[in-house]
Amino acid sequence: MELSDWELVQKCQLGDMSAFQELVSRYHQKVYVVILGLLRNREDALEVSQETFLRAYRKIGGFKGGSSFYTWIYRIGVNLAIDAQRRQKRNPLEFRDSMDSVLESQDEVARDPFAELHDRELRENLFKAINDLTAEHKAVIVLRTIEGLSYKDIGAILGCSEGTVMSRLHYARKKLHDKLRAFL
Amino acid sequence: MNKCERIEKSIGPWLDQELSAAESEIVRAHVTACSRCSEARQRLERIDRALSSLLVDEAPKIEFASFWRELEQRIEQKRPWHKRLLEQAGDWTSAPRAAWAVPALIAVLIAVLSYQSYFPIWRSRTNFATVESIDSYGRNVALLREDESKTTVIWLYQNQEGDDEAVEETPPAGPAF
Repeated sequence: MELSDWELVQKCQLGDMSAFQELVSRYHQKVYVVILGLLRNREDALEVSQETFLRAYRKIGGFKGGSSFYTWIYRIGVNLAIDAQRRQKRNPLEFRDSMDSVLESQDEVARDPFAELHDRELRENLFKAINDLTAEHKAVIVLRTIEGLSYKDIGAILGCSEGTVMSRLHYARKKLHDKLRAFL
Repeated sequence: MNKCERIEKSIGPWLDQELSAAESEIVRAHVTACSRCSEARQRLERIDRALSSLLVDEAPKIEFASFWRELEQRIEQKRPWHKRLLEQAGDWTSAPRAAWAVPALIAVLIAVLSYQSYFPIWRSRTNFATVESIDSYGRNVALLREDESKTTVIWLYQNQEGDDEAVEETPPAGPAF
């Protein structure tokens, strides 16, 4: 029978490394995708994901189960990613490379050239539009889009109210819409 | 703010299923009847689809084994030195490994107790001489020990009658202590 997250956390608190390994196996991909959504750079996202679980390991003794484990681990990851994003002085060439690698993966499927061009332009502009969002707006968009989290959970992760989440989502979507008007 | 502007703000939460049943019904009814708000809904759905495609579908898969290996190394590097030491000590004192410790401890004790035999240079000089009066009749005991030859002499003697004063100690003949 599979143990719940909370049962694994309790085992971790008693020093069971294999329980922590199980938690990492459950959430490493999800945490990575959320952080990648915020940083848009694969290497940076991997580095911050590692740091996220390292912090979780060191602080798990103080985790009381007041929130779910995934909310807690996302909160660590998102805060680290937002910090990294604010510190980041990304080299434009590196940014371009990381974006191209994402866009190239779409070229492997041959489709209608016009539709392909339209989609490529849409993705490229969407990519830029996401990067132009503030860290807070980007965070709500990523958590909602990737994980489909409720406003309550997003608020718990970001440390704000559900009303604030609703407001940030509205304005973030509006900004994306304004920048992508020609492609929608 | 007209009704369309108010409803437009609620389309996102409505699609996200974050409104109450009553609110959802109001938005649904308006969006169905209003072409402007219906278009706003379609635009929002297109944005969400594009976002999902960019953020979720294109994200690379991370191999767990290599992720965990690197994480384990980082955990080990960041662990305080005293915790690592305690863990190592725990390993060495675990039941199977403690078996060697019993004969080792016995050997160490034997070596410590008999170190003088193995290392004569460390031997302390414990030459010893004392004279004690043991009763009021002038009987005395003298204890003499010479370390090098491991000779111990216990000498019981009595002072001459009338000699009430303590015998003046004179160096005994023989080897100097």
